[in-house]
Amino acid sequence: MEDSKTSRRGFLDLLLSASALAWLVSVAYPIIRYLKPLPQSGATGPTRLTREESARLEQNKFVIVPVSGQRVIILQAEDQLHALSAKCTHEGCTVTYVPGQSGLWCPCHDGRFDLNGHVLSGPPPQPLLKYVAQRQPDGGIVISEART
Amino acid sequence: MLTAKDENGKPIITPEQQTYFDGLNDNLKEMLNRAVEKETISRPEHLSILLGLQLRPQKMELVLQNNCILCHSDSANHSADTLFSVAPVAGAKPSHMNLKEIVEDVHFRHGVSCAGCHGGDPAADLGHAHVKEWPEKDREKNRAWVVQFCARCHSDPATMHDFNPALPTDQLAKFKDSPHGHRLLDQHDDRAPSCVSCHGVHGIRPAKDPQSKVYAQRVPETCGACHANPETMAGSKRADGSPLPTTQLAEFRTSVHGKALLQRGDLGAPACNDCHGNHGAVPPGVASVSRSCSLCHSANASLFDGSKHKIAFDQHGWAECSKCHGNHAIQKTHDQMLAAGPGALCTDCHRQFSKDNPNCEATAEYFHQTITRMDAAKNDLMAVSEKLAAKGLDTDPINNQLTELADTLKKTRTYVHSFSRNTFQQVALPGEEAARQANALVNKAREDYKYRQIWLAASIAAIGLLMGALYLKLRQLEK
Amino acid sequence: MDHGEKGGGLRGWLERRYQLATLIEFLSHKQVPLGSHWMGWYYLGGITMFFFVVQVITGVLLLMYYQPGEATAYESIRFLTTKVPFGWLIRSIHSWSAHLMIVSLTLHMFSTMMLKAYRPPRELTWVSGYILFLLTLGFGFSGYLLPWNKLAYFATTVGTNIVASVPLLGDWLLQVLRGGPDVTVNTLYRFFAAHVVILPLAFVGLIGSHLLFIQRQGMALPLGAKVAPRGMKFFPSFALRDLLLWLACLMVLVSLAVFLPYGPGIPGMDWELGDKADPMAPAYPGIKPEWYFLWEYQLLKEFPPHLFGLEGPQVCLFLIAILFGIWAIIPWLDRRAARGQASPAFSDLGWAAILFLTYLTLAGWDIGAGGAGSDLASMPKVARVSAWWTLMAGMVVIVFRFWRYEHRYFVLTLAALLQVGLHGFFGVSYLMAGVFSIAAAAFAAATLRLLRSGTAGGGGP
Repeated sequence: MEDSKTSRRGFLDLLLSASALAWLVSVAYPIIRYLKPLPQSGATGPTRLTREESARLEQNKFVIVPVSGQRVIILQAEDQLHALSAKCTHEGCTVTYVPGQSGLWCPCHDGRFDLNGHVLSGPPPQPLLKYVAQRQPDGGIVISEART
Repeated sequence: MLTAKDENGKPIITPEQQTYFDGLNDNLKEMLNRAVEKETISRPEHLSILLGLQLRPQKMELVLQNNCILCHSDSANHSADTLFSVAPVAGAKPSHMNLKEIVEDVHFRHGVSCAGCHGGDPAADLGHAHVKEWPEKDREKNRAWVVQFCARCHSDPATMHDFNPALPTDQLAKFKDSPHGHRLLDQHDDRAPSCVSCHGVHGIRPAKDPQSKVYAQRVPETCGACHANPETMAGSKRADGSPLPTTQLAEFRTSVHGKALLQRGDLGAPACNDCHGNHGAVPPGVASVSRSCSLCHSANASLFDGSKHKIAFDQHGWAECSKCHGNHAIQKTHDQMLAAGPGALCTDCHRQFSKDNPNCEATAEYFHQTITRMDAAKNDLMAVSEKLAAKGLDTDPINNQLTELADTLKKTRTYVHSFSRNTFQQVALPGEEAARQANALVNKAREDYKYRQIWLAASIAAIGLLMGALYLKLRQLEK
Repeated sequence: MDHGEKGGGLRGWLERRYQLATLIEFLSHKQVPLGSHWMGWYYLGGITMFFFVVQVITGVLLLMYYQPGEATAYESIRFLTTKVPFGWLIRSIHSWSAHLMIVSLTLHMFSTMMLKAYRPPRELTWVSGYILFLLTLGFGFSGYLLPWNKLAYFATTVGTNIVASVPLLGDWLLQVLRGGPDVTVNTLYRFFAAHVVILPLAFVGLIGSHLLFIQRQGMALPLGAKVAPRGMKFFPSFALRDLLLWLACLMVLVSLAVFLPYGPGIPGMDWELGDKADPMAPAYPGIKPEWYFLWEYQLLKEFPPHLFGLEGPQVCLFLIAILFGIWAIIPWLDRRAARGQASPAFSDLGWAAILFLTYLTLAGWDIGAGGAGSDLASMPKVARVSAWWTLMAGMVVIVFRFWRYEHRYFVLTLAALLQVGLHGFFGVSYLMAGVFSIAAAAFAAATLRLLRSGTAGGGGP
């Protein structure tokens, strides 16, 4: 009789631990799902510059605009429009355009890129993603993601 | 042909061009195939150039429908002066035969293309029939035929309506009345400009396109191509017989307008055509100068029109705005222009022309003093405000007054053009009031800071007292 | 004075309900051991707690006016500091107290480490204190974002980017921390929740345990002493001295808040509100993290983009995790102190750590770059000048220890100085210099051990 009692107690302990664990999992799972944020929504696809953004581009020779939720820097160098991701590949700071040096500079850790996004110096490990900027016949500018 | 290699074994069609070709839709691939079959595209090098243009599908379609371009872009068939190439070949006419330019050309994009001017049938093979109006002989000299040629379409509202109803159709009429028109059509001077001198030939773009020769920022250099060249301008005279200068472009570049347009890229600043007109380019005479300045500087112009100076200037026949500010080399105005004393702008003129009237100089002096006083106050207050902000005080009310002061300064500098003490005074008053208020607020902020320091001293004293009492209690407990 | 009568009122009322007498009896026995070491170190824990209490009070007050949100965070703080009476004071105190708390916390941590207060039975006191240290850094990092100004926005972008280097969980952690792939107003909401509820709850819980352990076990005796040579009663003597010191700290705090409302003006210690954050603007030139993160920032810069097939930041994070891990389990590593014996190696470790952090912080601050911030060209100069200062400080430390504390074990301190010297003066890369110095230290330590066991019986200092 003693054996069956201990084995039943053992079984009950096991049942208790297992059910406690299961309950914890059932509590933890919704919390973990809750914490992970939803993917970004908003305008996707080719983006057209607003009048204000175009004006800033004319004035400063560059402007940073959101395209499909990403920061993209548009710059004008010698009559040519370039569009690159503005998010530095090192730690994610926003890069800026230095017209005199014909390149992009990230002030956070002094990373430098050329106008095609390739890394010239500093810590960034990857080149900047390229976007396509097209000037429309009516003077407006449309930014879209590069194919491939 | 896509896989052909050159003599060194390198493939002629690059991977990018291959990718481009693969991305074309079936219709375009079909058109390319037909062109190859018909041997309009006969060599891989030729195909490589066409694919390398990376044209949008719509433009590619226009090119492939156009046998003129297909043939004329093949270097095997053409000499330098009839070849459309991507980079101009030595010996060719510059920019006229640029393949990249022609596919951007506004006429080409609207489907007018080669045949629209040169005649012939683009779909036909090797069609070379030209319209009768295209002069074979003496085309290079005596360019007067050009304006009539362009005007066939551009002066006909019915034709233009099909392409761009917003474009005006009075260019030829204006041109005929202008000095350029007179020179070309009446005096038969070959150096005089025609349509293509400013707009280009095969790469014409709309004026809003930054690469167009008549885009606002490029207008000065386009006009300057002739007007800054002493050889071209030799023999040109003004209405009064004096020779036309060639310094305008250089002066413009140093001016406020030039710097704004060319350096800062401010498209609101005027280029040559904004004051002089473009097709009806007439140098402004006395009456018209003020009208062109007033298009932007309307406040100054209307103040001037109501002032005593207008009467005086009309009597003397002087050019209104440019007499004081210049025309091409207009510099930024500065408060010293109002100052009294020899060498100053107002004084120099008034000592000559109204020396019996002491009011004139006195008014100038009053303007000068009021403005410089407000300017100095503004600078001082800005410095003080910054220091106060660094101390942690609230400088928003002060900065609001400073904004008011800055606005008034701008206004007073404009209202100088009324040349009337009363009018000026009314405008200057709010600024002086703002300066007074700002000073009062600065004093209040300083009081605030003193109060903080006093409060600090008091609380330190209170804490110190408590500390003293605690210490004594400690001593007592430990005995 | 008749205590019984006076106590009969309130005291008696409480006594009958809660039997406080036993508790009071227990507390009256609490002693602070006095010995050859300076008593001043014992105050540091209390001072840290004082600053924390100031943070809670000023924090609650700030909560009355602060509103998290894209259009309200910056504006509410602007309103608070300009229009609300004494709002500037509350915010200024909150900022100053945060920095001073970290200073006193660092001093407290290093002093307990040097005094070996972590040895058994006080291991958990050390561990709970260590977690409190991490939570305080968390407070600093989360609070920094709340004004939603330009500096905070980019500092948070860079700081949170680092967690992406954690293997496997990196991306999930990044998204949960930021509330999305980028720093946005969702990040602000989460950091606000952390700063105002999650971290305070954890902190209060841990400080409760930390204090409970100390009360239960009493203050640690100096090493080697079984019984304290002398003691000072905690209540009222030490407690009142504590209170006196806290009042002095309050005086300093308030004076700083009035005269330097935006901090001492050093980069990394400057909380002028500035401009509102603009995600579409380029990053802030000369941007630096807060001074207490500068050493990590500089260490990250010393790593190449790729190392051993992994990304540089990942390896650096791994190294930092190892260093932090070692620091956490010091009570179990230091077996000599556990036995009650002198443990010079661990004292030396503490000093070596201080010099290690000093060099990195100086270099992170671009000392020697002439105030222009560092670029590629000036980095060697910064390394040299920072190395010089660290070496000077190291020399002073060694001389001081030799003379005042009769320390004789300097292997680790010298290794740290060697690394700094090689890197700053001979241009050796920071990592290579580190590897070399560790190897040299291991060699020296092994040699010393051999020499000591070679002489009769081992026994050494």
